Amino acid sequence: MKFPRLYLPAIKSLILVIFIAFTCLPLVQMTLISFIATLPTPDTEVGTLTLSNYAGIWTDPNLRSAFLNSIAYVLINILITIPTAIPAAYAFSRMSFLGDKYLFLAFIAFRITPPVVLTLPIFQLFSNLGIVNSVFGIGLAHCLFNLPVSIWILQGFISAIPREMDETAFLDGYSRPQFIWNILMPQIASGIAVTAFFCFMFSWVEVVFARILTTTNGKPISMAINALFGFQTDIGLVMAVTVASILPGAALLFAMRNHLSRGFKIGRV
Amino acid sequence: MKRRDNTGWIFVLPATLVLGLIGLIPLIKVVNYSLFEIFILDARFWVGAEWYKEIIGSGRFWASFGRSTLFSALILAIQIPLGIAIALCIPRGKFWVGITLAIIALPLLVPWNMIPSLWLSLLNPDTGLLGRLFPQVGWPADWKLSVAHTWAVIIAMDVWHWTSLVVILCYIALTTIPAAHYQAAATDGAGSWQVFRFIQLPKLYNVLLMAILLRFMDSFMIYTEAFPINAGGPNGATLFLAVDLGEEIKAFNYGPSAARSVIYFLTVLTVAWTFSKAQGRLDRAGIL
Repeated sequence: MKFPRLYLPAIKSLILVIFIAFTCLPLVQMTLISFIATLPTPDTEVGTLTLSNYAGIWTDPNLRSAFLNSIAYVLINILITIPTAIPAAYAFSRMSFLGDKYLFLAFIAFRITPPVVLTLPIFQLFSNLGIVNSVFGIGLAHCLFNLPVSIWILQGFISAIPREMDETAFLDGYSRPQFIWNILMPQIASGIAVTAFFCFMFSWVEVVFARILTTTNGKPISMAINALFGFQTDIGLVMAVTVASILPGAALLFAMRNHLSRGFKIGRV
Repeated sequence: MKRRDNTGWIFVLPATLVLGLIGLIPLIKVVNYSLFEIFILDARFWVGAEWYKEIIGSGRFWASFGRSTLFSALILAIQIPLGIAIALCIPRGKFWVGITLAIIALPLLVPWNMIPSLWLSLLNPDTGLLGRLFPQVGWPADWKLSVAHTWAVIIAMDVWHWTSLVVILCYIALTTIPAAHYQAAATDGAGSWQVFRFIQLPKLYNVLLMAILLRFMDSFMIYTEAFPINAGGPNGATLFLAVDLGEEIKAFNYGPSAARSVIYFLTVLTVAWTFSKAQGRLDRAGIL
């Protein structure tokens, strides 16, 4: 078996390059169109290179507020998800209590429940609570899938920390909450960052809840893009908004890349 | 050993309350609605299992069910092996890993409603990068009339969108293998296949269960992305389960849409339960 040993690294690189090219293809297409004028205006012809699509994002108050709305609801979602997920992940990792396995299964079941199934009652519930058309509503609704995933990721990080650390801390007189806050949290800081990133990623791009919960106000980017489609769609502007909508995530991703590439132990289903 | 007492409940209480509010209460409401004929929410009639009988008895439901099952099966058959393969191909050098992972994850950051638009513009015969190239390789200009081509586009789109998630999860799990294991394998003269089979794959079981579960359910209930490609056509050949439900919700058919939701939720629950059983069995066999 001399042959594969020798060529394996080359084959691996080739496969990776092909996959990355496939990944980039639609993104390149999108970026190209975003720099082209696609609707005729007095001073530009269709098909010319232009920056006006990007300028259009800045001048359109709806698009500007959409960006702020998206950032706001994702932050709200992370602020609800992480503090509720940490103690739960700790409990699932370290403690045994009546019905723990079934509870975890129920959480996972909510993660994989398609949002369409719950749209109607969630809309009614949220309008009774008065949080429809607000960023808070979307942020809360997205906990449905982000909370279980966060518990699952954090549980892996917590399980990777030796149990002796808990016991030493208890002997030193720490209570469980004190231990979580003072000792555990700094230890799993990178885990919290990774979890927050996953929350961002799943929440930023979601559209089903975002659509039904924002009919008049609080529209996020995805819905603002939807509103651009009409009788005469300026596809250049649509693509420019899409490119812009990927940028915050790409920046975060770039900042997080070493946390992700270092790897971490992932919890059980 | 974990000590068994119920203080754990205090720690899971906040999460349980949040999911109870936005998950369980809506779910109970849906079950309730599914048993009534509802014109407006204040005027309703008890119809019992009427809606369920209607849905289960309709050929349309089973046709969609079949299409969704086939779609999920194809998606899993492509994305899981591809995801593992790509994760194994990612180089070990520190600098390139970060960049590679960052690029691979980009499709996950595109708003879902824009994904079909991206692919349609890619396939546009006048301006698309692929669309201009494709006539030369025999791709028909009227591909929307062909069942096979429409399916191919939707599958390519989903592979593009979601394989990244499988890659990232697998890569993260692979990095937890201590270097000593590889060295031991090298001393024993193990080939690449043996290293994969006995060292890498066992580390992936946990993550793969999760990846399969997530990818299965999300593709089984694909909604936002698939429909705009060809409006469910040609002749309803790409009408998946969630589309029917979406249509009924838009038409405000509370009862039937609720019954459909319950059926879908029960499917979800069955799948999740099967997975936890599978994991329990792997556990007992000492594989995990």
